[in-house]
Amino acid sequence: MQRRTFLQSLLTSAAIIGTPMWASRALAAESTATIVGGVSVENLPELSGDLTLYLGRGEGGLYEKVLQAISDRNPKLNLKIRRGPTAALANSIVAEAKAGVRRADIFWAVDSGAIGLVTDAELAQVLPSDLQEQLKSGFQYPNWAPVTGRIRTLPYNPQRVKAEQIPSDIMALADSDLSIAWAPAYASFQSFITAMRLLEGEQATAHWLRAVNKRAKSYAGELGVVMAVERGEVDVGLANHYYSLRLKSGKPNANIALAFTDNDAGCLINSSGVLALKDSATATNFIRYLLSREVQSYLATEAYEIPLVKGIAPPPGLADISNIRPPKIDLTKLADLRPTLKLMRDVGVL
Amino acid sequence: MRWPFSYPLALVIALLALVPVGVLMSLANGDATFFDQHNLKVLTNTLWLMLFTALGSIAIGVPLALMTAYAQLPYRRLWLIVLAAPLALPSYIGAFTLYAAFGPGGEIDQLLGVTPPRVYGLAGASLVMTLYTYPFVLLTTRAALVGLDGNLVNAARTLGMSLMASIWRVVLPRVVTGMAAGALLAAMYALSDFGTPAMMGLDTFTRVIYVEYNAFGLSQAAMLSLQLLCVVALVLFLESRVRGTKESPGRLLRLWPKPWQSALMLLASLPVFLLSIVLPLAIFVLWLVRDGTGDFNFSYAWNSTYASLLAALVAVILAVPVAHAALSGKAGRLMERVTFLGFGVPGIVMGTALVYMGLQLPFLYQTLALLIIAYVLRFLPLAVGSVRTSVESLDPRMLQAARLLGASPKEAFCRITLPLTMRGIIAGAALVFLESMRELPATLLLGPTGFETLATYLWRVYEAGYFGRAAVPGLLLVFMSGLGLALMLVGERGSDFDIKE
Amino acid sequence: MLKVRNLSVHYGDTCVVRDLNLALGDDEILMLVGPTGCGKSTILQALAGLIPISSGEMELGSWQASVHRHVAPEKRSVGMVFQDFALFPHLTVQENIAFRLSDNSLADHWIELLGLNALRESKPSQLSGGQKQRVALARTLAHEPSFILLDEPLSSLDAALKDTLRWDIRKALKKAGVPAIWVTHDQEEALSVGDRVGVLKNGVIEQLDTPERCFSEPASRFVAGFLGEASFLPGHISGNQVITSLGSVPGIAIHCDDSQVDLLVRPDDFSLCATSDGNGLIAWSRYEGGTRLYAVNLDDGPQVSVRVIHENAIAVGARVQIDIITTHPLAAFPRQPACVC
Repeated sequence: MQRRTFLQSLLTSAAIIGTPMWASRALAAESTATIVGGVSVENLPELSGDLTLYLGRGEGGLYEKVLQAISDRNPKLNLKIRRGPTAALANSIVAEAKAGVRRADIFWAVDSGAIGLVTDAELAQVLPSDLQEQLKSGFQYPNWAPVTGRIRTLPYNPQRVKAEQIPSDIMALADSDLSIAWAPAYASFQSFITAMRLLEGEQATAHWLRAVNKRAKSYAGELGVVMAVERGEVDVGLANHYYSLRLKSGKPNANIALAFTDNDAGCLINSSGVLALKDSATATNFIRYLLSREVQSYLATEAYEIPLVKGIAPPPGLADISNIRPPKIDLTKLADLRPTLKLMRDVGVL
Repeated sequence: MRWPFSYPLALVIALLALVPVGVLMSLANGDATFFDQHNLKVLTNTLWLMLFTALGSIAIGVPLALMTAYAQLPYRRLWLIVLAAPLALPSYIGAFTLYAAFGPGGEIDQLLGVTPPRVYGLAGASLVMTLYTYPFVLLTTRAALVGLDGNLVNAARTLGMSLMASIWRVVLPRVVTGMAAGALLAAMYALSDFGTPAMMGLDTFTRVIYVEYNAFGLSQAAMLSLQLLCVVALVLFLESRVRGTKESPGRLLRLWPKPWQSALMLLASLPVFLLSIVLPLAIFVLWLVRDGTGDFNFSYAWNSTYASLLAALVAVILAVPVAHAALSGKAGRLMERVTFLGFGVPGIVMGTALVYMGLQLPFLYQTLALLIIAYVLRFLPLAVGSVRTSVESLDPRMLQAARLLGASPKEAFCRITLPLTMRGIIAGAALVFLESMRELPATLLLGPTGFETLATYLWRVYEAGYFGRAAVPGLLLVFMSGLGLALMLVGERGSDFDIKE
Repeated sequence: MLKVRNLSVHYGDTCVVRDLNLALGDDEILMLVGPTGCGKSTILQALAGLIPISSGEMELGSWQASVHRHVAPEKRSVGMVFQDFALFPHLTVQENIAFRLSDNSLADHWIELLGLNALRESKPSQLSGGQKQRVALARTLAHEPSFILLDEPLSSLDAALKDTLRWDIRKALKKAGVPAIWVTHDQEEALSVGDRVGVLKNGVIEQLDTPERCFSEPASRFVAGFLGEASFLPGHISGNQVITSLGSVPGIAIHCDDSQVDLLVRPDDFSLCATSDGNGLIAWSRYEGGTRLYAVNLDDGPQVSVRVIHENAIAVGARVQIDIITTHPLAAFPRQPACVC
């Protein structure tokens, strides 16, 4: 939807497309020395039989490449993929269940809210405990598995502001005198506000939105936010971490640095997630592949996503992630988006 | 009174078309808010967009219709096709490329260093919708103009009125219905289009429905869709009131502009063509050069084509009884109007409603057959409208003559009605084909799993942010749509029978 | 033999045709004539089965139709020639004419006969009006109908064409030997082509008779006026003579209860010569090519119309002598207060 996203992705996609041999790299037995955790695909059972995957909005072409690699590695697997908007697929799954028709074996959603819609309808299978245990604490759910995460950040322009000037409390940003870039129409931003609403309450959130709105410039998407920060149009922005990392990878001397708040919505880690809709070994093992060491580190290095399996190295440029304390929140609760939209409209930021 | 034979068939089709509306109603009965402050703003935005689109398409379409109908320009047929060509482009492609080209940081800024203003908001959405819907006004008005007796203008001029004044006072008042029909069609497109307002950041019904839907507010989205349906019903009602009186045909008015006048007219229509056709294609070519073709597979184009062809075929077959019913009486007319409702429902909601509907037929669910039913339900009105118009313009004496020569009603239908309305039928099929090629949400939700079309591939690379890879499928989509449009214009040439060139 | 009994047609509450009775001989041509809106086209459509009738019945050979028993148009074996020809625009002349024929020889026959050979492969849009009319006629005749309806077949053609074409059609109809009903609003056409003429007014036949009788012994003043230029001279009946200011002439009383009558005199029933002691004054004159038409104000009577050969040129205002020169009896109508006709 945003031109800037597209323009920028032209720059970054070149780098991604430039690695056609990724499959051999990502699923290779040899792993780099930094990787210690996770289960290697070498130790996973071979997949076979029919498997239907509902894929909610493939983030980048990277999910596609992961799926392609899994298919290539398991020639007996007949993987059928239905792609669609995350919410539409979630609604379809619910409708199918109501009608007693089950077509999907696995649902991989880019958005944990959609996962919530399906788990609330009690359609998700309970996963084996060894799967849960592979995941970092705070990301262990009985009936779905987060795959990779993204963290809310405050990208700032070090030429305009010093790191010390960035508040470590997201609520304090409202009272600072920094100029701010944000993208209120963007889905990740709305999830962030939902988290704030759940953690701080409606009133405080409305107050925060009003205050920030006075000093904020709106952008269509968060890549635009990050670019505005880099150009020095504003002091600080509100964006997912990977936009800054991707910008830096295309332009290593970019004027951008990342700041994190502490234990509040400002450093929320939201995730994509996968769940099994049928109790089958193939479905569960497929999820194991997504949580494998190779897939996790591939998504971390190529897509700058945060691996959520224990012991996998974070994406380059986000080395200090282990020091950050994200808020404790049930990610499926972020599906409660509509009160957020109403709040944002009432305040006049949407 | 005896019911015409087409009524039972039309009734079945109308009821089928009502099923998604019924699904929407059952979905909307949850915790949906009926109407609030925000709805009012959405409604206002939507109505403004419709109004501006209608006015804009009249402002562009009517002068072009006059030019293509009356002015004896060199290569007249070519100009008509060129000026109707925006129909072949999905408006979302136009919105997307205009957005990418204009404004600070846009392609024009990057290439030329000049920063044109941003195309955004209500003004931007109105501009884009106008650029891609004016051909409706152009075609309907032109058809009306061609049917007029040009001698009335000659009469007015001999009474001392200037050419411009006589066109204004003698010609235009008689084609008001043609203009209105086209403008209402344009308004209808503005009403149901999702891509353009979404990209232009304008909160219209379709965009808000999409936002609500993605915020897991299915019931609110259904409720908003029902409200949107009310607006659609209003437009349909207005459209049904637009019925021109038929004038006895006469000699076509011909104007012989001087070469400099021709050049000036064509020059004046150039910006429209540049903005609506050349710019998007140029942007696509630019991307193609920059990014190459990616992992595009030509089977996607084949999938698109044959699914759309099947949909077009089924749609015209069903359109014939509906159009016949519409011309047979009031009840039939109502049935026809009902089939039009689905046209205004945003694709994503319609897609979900059809998932519910399709799930009642599990053996069909996620098969090509159901996808084609979905296409037909969504785009049947286009076929019906086109078929009905051509049947309406059929001289009833042709049928009487055939009957009196001993042909049974069936034979008369096959040998006279069918061939004489074939152009309208082809035009209707072409329209359904055009729209099915672009259709996205129902294709994603209802097609066989793994069924990739041009539109779904475009969506996939767009979602992934690889806009460069949109170039090949985008250009292919435009090319295939162009073929469809050419077919449709062959249908539009029905006037050849009456007017000797 | 075509028979129509008590045929009525209503459009909604309006009665368009009332109690029509007709019987047509085997190759008879009946001309139906009347002003616009008199119901003549409606009669054709009812006979063809294209519109429902509200009472009466009709029969022709094998079929019989009434209100309750509708016979479909294609079952009636009826041919119709439409006002604007209704040629199928997507078919060639040959294909039009042979529309439902399995054997082309009949089509060829009429194509030859009507001189359409060179046009076989043309499309209707390439034909002139006269050519279209011939194609329409050939198409109708080639399908060998049991009777033929012609709905103002010449009305959309040039005057010059009409004259020859009307005789061509008559010849063709006679050759085909089928009864025909030919609707027109042109009285000259009605009188010259038909074997019989029916004059219609407001859906009712005022008179149905040979052209001669309709013209010279019209059943009403309306018929008299419709079929040609008519002057009415006041007079009174005495025996089989009518005594008028211009002398006494043989007369036939039509619906007369009274001896006071108006005598119908056609323009060519008068003689006219310029003389200073005449009985009238020229009011106006109209040059018609071969003839001249004068309006003469009689000294002791109304204005009358007189037609004489063109050589006889008289100035407006000149005094003239008018006499009735006819030897055949003239029709006399009951006296009407002046100014109605």
